[in-house]
Amino acid sequence: MAKSKMATASQILYFLVHPNQLRAVIQWKVWHEPVHRRDPSKETATEKACFYYLELTSRSFAAVIQELNPELLMPICLFYLVLRGLDTIEDDMTLDINEKVKLLRNFSEHMETDGWTFDKNGPDEKDRELLVHFDQVIIELKKVKRPYYEVIKDITIKMGNGMADYALKAENGDLGVETIKDYELYCHYVAGLVGEGLTQLFVESKLANPQLLVRMDLTESMGQFLQKTNIIRDVHEDYVDKRRFWPREIWSKYVNTWDDMFLPENREKAMNCSSEMVLNALKHADECLFYMAGVRDQSVFNFVAIPQTMAMATIDLVFRNPRIFDSHLKITKGDACQLMSDSTQNLRIVCDVFKKYTRRIHKKNDPRDPSYLAISAQCGKIEQFIESIFPTQDPKKIEAAALQEEAAAAGGMGFWETAALVGSALFVLLAIGGLMIGAAWFLGARFNHTFAELDSKVRGSITTTITTLAGAVPTPGHEEL
Amino acid sequence: MTSEKKPELGSVMVIGGCGFLGHHVVRLLLRDYTCSVSVVDLRCVRNRRPDSDGVHYFEADITDAAKLESIFTKARPSVVIHTASPPAQSNDSVSHALFKKVNVDGTAAVVDACRKTGVKALVYTSSASVMSDNLSDLINADERWPVIRGANQSEYYSETKAAAEEIVLKANRSPEAPSLLTCAIRPSGIMGEGDTMVLYHIINIYRQGRTNVQVGDNNNLFDFTYVENVAHGHLLAARALLQTAAARIVPLDTERVDGEAFLITNDTPVYFWDFCRAIWAAAGSPLGTDHVWILPRSTGMFLGYLSEVFFSLIRKPPTFNRQRIVYSCMTRYYDISKAKRRLGYKPLVSLEDGIKRSVKWTLENASK
Repeated sequence: MAKSKMATASQILYFLVHPNQLRAVIQWKVWHEPVHRRDPSKETATEKACFYYLELTSRSFAAVIQELNPELLMPICLFYLVLRGLDTIEDDMTLDINEKVKLLRNFSEHMETDGWTFDKNGPDEKDRELLVHFDQVIIELKKVKRPYYEVIKDITIKMGNGMADYALKAENGDLGVETIKDYELYCHYVAGLVGEGLTQLFVESKLANPQLLVRMDLTESMGQFLQKTNIIRDVHEDYVDKRRFWPREIWSKYVNTWDDMFLPENREKAMNCSSEMVLNALKHADECLFYMAGVRDQSVFNFVAIPQTMAMATIDLVFRNPRIFDSHLKITKGDACQLMSDSTQNLRIVCDVFKKYTRRIHKKNDPRDPSYLAISAQCGKIEQFIESIFPTQDPKKIEAAALQEEAAAAGGMGFWETAALVGSALFVLLAIGGLMIGAAWFLGARFNHTFAELDSKVRGSITTTITTLAGAVPTPGHEEL
Repeated sequence: MTSEKKPELGSVMVIGGCGFLGHHVVRLLLRDYTCSVSVVDLRCVRNRRPDSDGVHYFEADITDAAKLESIFTKARPSVVIHTASPPAQSNDSVSHALFKKVNVDGTAAVVDACRKTGVKALVYTSSASVMSDNLSDLINADERWPVIRGANQSEYYSETKAAAEEIVLKANRSPEAPSLLTCAIRPSGIMGEGDTMVLYHIINIYRQGRTNVQVGDNNNLFDFTYVENVAHGHLLAARALLQTAAARIVPLDTERVDGEAFLITNDTPVYFWDFCRAIWAAAGSPLGTDHVWILPRSTGMFLGYLSEVFFSLIRKPPTFNRQRIVYSCMTRYYDISKAKRRLGYKPLVSLEDGIKRSVKWTLENASK
């Protein structure tokens, strides 16, 4: 039940000049057919309550979760609500730190206690309603199949402890994001862990390839990619809120203090720094595609692919974009709808989306940027990975074509045959041209002056163009051993 | 490599060991392996190791079979790394004759000498260009792609490299000398210290202030390889051949090194013009891409054609032609999984560091 807003005049104007955006919005709204749709008529009161809180607390995930395979619909909805509950406690700056830490560390026990609720959140905490009525969630949690429940509980324990650690650090005025390792550990706690739980749920329900459990690094990449993208995009918003997630190890190469990053005179340095952040995020992109190749169920595929393509588009939006340091950027509604349409089909189309944005990033890459070559190489790596799943070329066909060509060369049209054909065509052209020029001459036209002029001009321009190009085009091809 | 024990390679002979790739092979042998090294080259003056390194140098033309055999008899190599090849710069009948003589006849002579003197392992430097028809793209190509020969191969140099590779691979476990194991390394776009072609040319464009032209859309990925990585690939192959020889059983087809060809790259394909621009930046260019004038491939081809016509009218070889345009717009990158799996290959030096080192060397040495 998304809030429907009246289209403002500016929106109408925007869509008038961007018809493709409007087309994408309509395409998604009208033509998107969910694989599964929940059936509220068969739901219990507490189930309905859970979906009510899901829609209340999630902007982007509510829709995709509700289209999930019925087997995972409730478990993932509840998983989301539990994590959202943790988040609401962590976010609340009005809570006493000791109480907050205790709540976070004990949350896995609270979620097993019948009738547990929490109403001490500050009045401004946007999701406080969820915790006030958390007993409803607990009732549904008890009905979840044992293996799924174990996963949810395990991640809740890990996440609660992680959040408690960071809350204590933040209390000391420092999130401690010094090294890239710290940064990635933070991303692990807020995103990697969720991915870990989800992968276990997907595999347990047989909706994904069990190999994903062996390659947990792929799951980690899924979370890291999303979280890092958000952290890059939100740099200004976080700065205003006096939070910093960019690791010192990276930004100290470009500026002396974090405040310097936002000074207009440092924009070029800040941009180069953001490029290195983008490069760091982009190194996960190919593994994300690898992960998605392991998903077997369409609804799960949609669920995991939508945030990934959105992240890829966001990375393109923020790359070498100075506005990230003074404003909050967002992909357009039209682009978002286009991405959702493209992410709810198959891996091939998602790969095409990744390739499209990879090339857009590559186009914006600047040779003066210290990360220039590394970004180019990373774009190349993503393209190469896509080729490895969906090859453009087939060696067998190339071999067959080469053999055919050889045969054609032996038995095709002979040289003299071709020459005769070309010659006769030339003869006709020259004859007609000659007749016309002759007629003109006969009628008084004189050409010698025109020819002389034309000759000197053409010669001049050809020689300059050729000498320019001769020096400008490198030849790597055959000059190797 | 320093902490662990260096692997043994016995007596190693590097043919072309004073050349661009060859002297890096010698350097790596001394650095990473336990072995005795000898070198055969036409001239043993440049790229020569100090005497204290104990490398034996023999001057010989490899097409002189008798001399080659006498050197082999003296040096008694168990491993031969054959890197010798003339530079592929020119394309006239004189150089064609040289390509044929050195690449084909010379390699045949090397194989013969190996057979007659009981060499165990022969590694031949082929080229990734043997898979290219110099017109079509090679997109993530691996060793299953066909070798382009005869009428389909427009570069005679590549034709002779392919012919030599065939001679070498056919000599593997052949009836003439069943104990000789062979393989071929196909590097793509070698650059590094000592390279006077690829990098020299690209840096010259910067020196002449001509970085303002780009032909094509620059979406074509290309594989360039730092020379030390190529040398490393050769030595891993040599080591694998010796291990196969010691095992005395024919390995499984999926693990085989003997009789096989291996593509070797930096495993880092980059966009063609990005590579050039990274070199220009490393050479000191302060420019971005705002000044660049993008010429569509078709326009480039047309101008190339005009140039060919123009130069044929004034009866001179064209300094600029359509093939140049084709190369700069061609996608040519490879999947080197086979070398990674069977040789345990992984580049020792990243592309970025490789470029830095190569540009530094070129600016210091090839600037005259």
